[in-house]
Amino acid sequence: MDQHSVEVIVETLKEQGIDLAVTLPEEPTYSLTEAMREDPFFQAVTVAGEGNGLAFCAGAALGGRRVVFVTGIAGLLVGSWALSQMGMVYGAPILILASYRGDFGDHSGIPGSQLLMFKQVAEPLLGALRVPYRVVNQKATLKRMIQEGSFACQDYSHPIVLLLSGEVLW
Amino acid sequence: MKRFDCLKLLAPMVDQHMLTVTSLSSNTAFWSDLRREGANFFGCNMGLCIPFALGLTAAFPKRKVIALDSDGSLMNDTSSLITVADVNPPNLVAIVMDNGSYARMGSTFTTRKTDLEKIAQGAGIANTATVRSEEALSAAAQQALETSGPHFIVAKVEPDTVRVKGDPHRTYGRFMREVFMDAVRHHPDYQQARK
Amino acid sequence: MKRFDCLKILASLVDEHMLAVTSLSTNTPFWFNVRPQGPNFFALNMGLCLPFALGLSVAFPKRKIIAIDSDGSLMNDSSSLITVADVNPPNLAAFVMDNGSYAHMGSTFTTRKTDLAKMAQGAGIANASTVKTLEEFSSAAKQAMENVGPTLIVAKVERDAGRVSADRSRTSGRPMREWFMDALRRHPDYKAGR
Repeated sequence: MDQHSVEVIVETLKEQGIDLAVTLPEEPTYSLTEAMREDPFFQAVTVAGEGNGLAFCAGAALGGRRVVFVTGIAGLLVGSWALSQMGMVYGAPILILASYRGDFGDHSGIPGSQLLMFKQVAEPLLGALRVPYRVVNQKATLKRMIQEGSFACQDYSHPIVLLLSGEVLW
Repeated sequence: MKRFDCLKLLAPMVDQHMLTVTSLSSNTAFWSDLRREGANFFGCNMGLCIPFALGLTAAFPKRKVIALDSDGSLMNDTSSLITVADVNPPNLVAIVMDNGSYARMGSTFTTRKTDLEKIAQGAGIANTATVRSEEALSAAAQQALETSGPHFIVAKVEPDTVRVKGDPHRTYGRFMREVFMDAVRHHPDYQQARK
Repeated sequence: MKRFDCLKILASLVDEHMLAVTSLSTNTPFWFNVRPQGPNFFALNMGLCLPFALGLSVAFPKRKIIAIDSDGSLMNDSSSLITVADVNPPNLAAFVMDNGSYAHMGSTFTTRKTDLAKMAQGAGIANASTVKTLEEFSSAAKQAMENVGPTLIVAKVERDAGRVSADRSRTSGRPMREWFMDALRRHPDYKAGR
């Protein structure tokens, strides 16, 4: 992930008072989660599975913590059961940053048949789970997107997904 | 031993500022009857009870958070025990009411070869116990509530003989969430972050 | 010990009719390197390797099924261990190449408090053990081939020195699936559409 984008994201999350950073490591967002892990501002938690990870985020969020879950499309798939409960049923305010694997411009080198699946599934999945989302792919508007996403998350009391792509991710 | 009797002996051990989370099954109906005050998250679906409680420990670090889970629910996502061991919260008490059955449907794996306490130990949780009598449960719970954790207790209970449902307006879904959030917002430790 | 050396030993114990399943990570290119022919299902994503292999064990009850998983993958869905114990297939030999890391990213829980063999025993798999040297691996693998009943071996391996990849058309996604299905259709035990 672009170093400048990492800095903008970290700085904006701090301004939003988001001090709990949860992840199961994945390649595209690894530099972001490492930066948060090394920064004493954040309580950084690594989870064994995205399902229990999202449930953890929900408990912390409803309990009053400001939390960000960093994952990818695969993680959203694994965690979709938890999202259906914690999102649709309970409206837990979790800000989710997810790398948009498979979006055009993906430079990860993952084989095409996986990337195609991610591209086809990502947005309809979030639609099916009624999770509001936005594709964030421009450095110029990155800060504002995170601010707006974070605000919406609290205001709606609902998980919000920012799909990181384009020049922000690659 | 009977699930209701276990929950009945646990209820007076829980003070008003402790938070509790229950799984589906009669844990919800029974616990909602026994604990009428405080912040209680009822009816948490399969696999989500313990990790949700773990999240609450991060929000309320100075209070004991008690998860009342079921064997079927926990087995849906045993990886949550790995996360618990790694986060290592001193204030989590996870109690699994293991009746060896999926509601009133077939038997679960714990009636055969699966030992949840051993899985928890393998995951990395040091303070574990399996209890088969009320005395043992009482002693284990006392210890868990008074010492630094995380604690993991498996209570072997009989399958319920009848179906029990809690008050749907207090114990499920969005309605339950509102009652829970109201209690959370009134909790002395609640810190809604800055913005 | 090195992952590649373990897989090389394993390949020498595997005959042409055994089926093998690998997780993502270097398990895939290394296994492809040591056992390019035969029914191999490569590069299963997180948490899916062991249960998929379990399914194959039920479809091919007379053949050994070899699962070559990773610690991060297994921990994503450790409940699969319970399912394996309960189905109790006589022919499943599962190997978890535990390098304690998520690819080239951070360390996993097995470098801290998690003991996968112990979790497997808790799940109900009696033949679950951890091996740390090549000699131990070799003898455990031979034992696994002869065991009747599910076996799980956690092999503590070093992190891979570099990134390795293999021929994509043979080891990933839909193209891999076609090679695999082709091998199955020619397998003496394959029973399709009875």
